[in-house]
Amino acid sequence: MKTGDLIEVDQPNLLDEQFDYSLPPRILFDGPQYEEVGDRLVRFNPEDALARDLVITDTTFRDGQQARPPYTVEQQVKLYDMMARLGGPNGVIRQTEFFLYTKNDRRTLDECRALGHRFPEITSWIRADKGDFRLVREAGVRETGMLTPSSDYHIFYKLKKDRKKAFNDYLEVVEAAWESGIRPRCHLEDVTRADIDGYVLPFVQELMRRSEQVPPELRAKIRLCDTMGFGISYPGASLPRSIPKLVYRMTSDGGVPHDCLEWHGHNDFHKVHVNGATAWLYGCNALNTTLFGFGERTGNPPLEGAILEYIGLRGDLCGIDTMMIQEMADYMRSIGVDIAPNYPFVGRDFNTTRAGIHAGGLRSDERIYNIFDTTALFGRPPRVAITDKTGVDGVALWVNEFLGLKGKDRLSKIKVHRIARWVMDQYEVHGRMSAITDEELEAQVKNNLPDQYATYQASRKAG
Amino acid sequence: MDRESIKAGVYRVISQVLGIDTNQVAEDQSFTADLGAESVQSVELMAGFEEEFEIEMDEDEALAVQTVGGAIDFIAHYVND
Repeated sequence: MKTGDLIEVDQPNLLDEQFDYSLPPRILFDGPQYEEVGDRLVRFNPEDALARDLVITDTTFRDGQQARPPYTVEQQVKLYDMMARLGGPNGVIRQTEFFLYTKNDRRTLDECRALGHRFPEITSWIRADKGDFRLVREAGVRETGMLTPSSDYHIFYKLKKDRKKAFNDYLEVVEAAWESGIRPRCHLEDVTRADIDGYVLPFVQELMRRSEQVPPELRAKIRLCDTMGFGISYPGASLPRSIPKLVYRMTSDGGVPHDCLEWHGHNDFHKVHVNGATAWLYGCNALNTTLFGFGERTGNPPLEGAILEYIGLRGDLCGIDTMMIQEMADYMRSIGVDIAPNYPFVGRDFNTTRAGIHAGGLRSDERIYNIFDTTALFGRPPRVAITDKTGVDGVALWVNEFLGLKGKDRLSKIKVHRIARWVMDQYEVHGRMSAITDEELEAQVKNNLPDQYATYQASRKAG
Repeated sequence: MDRESIKAGVYRVISQVLGIDTNQVAEDQSFTADLGAESVQSVELMAGFEEEFEIEMDEDEALAVQTVGGAIDFIAHYVND
């Protein structure tokens, strides 16, 4: 066992390289990882991943709409516009896909394009039906996703085909896309439950072989669809569930270039975000997401989670406007979408503490219990929700935040003791079971700190 | 202000905030362990001392005081400086 000696320091070591408070925490790596894939020992170097053009793609308007009543045209256009501002001019959110089947689908596409954003590029999604390419072509879309299910569950039981028939039918549709001048993106449905050597690789190899015959901009893309959320990120897990092995086999044995490989996950086993990030690191350039993870059943990798992961990997905002995450959440709420209070980054309580000991920490230095500078990046300062567990520290923090007091102007616990007593009496004397509301606390501030409340009101009126 | 006057004022505040008779209070008693002051009451005691002696104390230093006698001495610094 390696023993260590206590190293006393004059100043706290806050590990700034990883925890620069002005950004989401940096994701650093100590070096390459090694994974046994079959009889090969494969070296994965995260630095190689970071040198690639990692991007986020979006399916809020396709998979995301399969989990809810349809968005109106106006709602989709508004969300698309906000998504463009979120991803920024560098195209961190590179593409988003739309349905093309109804008049409203096509109107949405036209109105989104009329906004003039370079990113996200609009792509589409169709069934693997040759007749649908007319829709794609008429819509002026250059790339379309198409269903090419890969597991025997889907081939035999859903499509009622055998492997050879599925193989040939899919390739026929891909050829039809090329004939129409459209780039095909093959969605390998259920790939984490498929026979990789017996079906998936032969299909992908054939696709790549045929892609050599077409211009580079038409080369087939592969979307690895973890349709049931079976993917696993741990080292040593077996195929087809192992994401590192699956992605490696696609790039190494399937010959798929990184920029033609995309991960699409589902959250059935609570692994959706980390699985997506794993796919990024092991060889997929594109991570497919939906806003707030809304998608079929348990949902998809959340777009905003991928954004934060991207910043953590890059150590830079890269043109991303993080404030848009909150604007998009507010907009979703305004159109009746529920977001759980504890949902990361945007839930009402995502940076709200109820524990008195945590409130005490926040009062001393918000970095103790806040994940990063959520005020600067999200416009959301850390908050306390007041209950009998919050203590005087929490009350003092709430009052100071409410009144907007900084530095030496902040009120001490002694100054807010009457409000703290009122809070405790609510529970101990009156038997209250619910949290104290902001409105109730404001009334207490008005009664017990009239001078400070008057100053606060005057500053609000002034602007 | 002499120490006895400060002691009388401190005992009066303790009696009011904790609801106990002044003759139950002793200088060597701890506010929390012996007198049973809870978190909010500790802050109420400090607020009571500030009002009683018309002083403004450093919060962290004041809340670090553990005993009744310690509070008398601590307040004496403010009152007599």
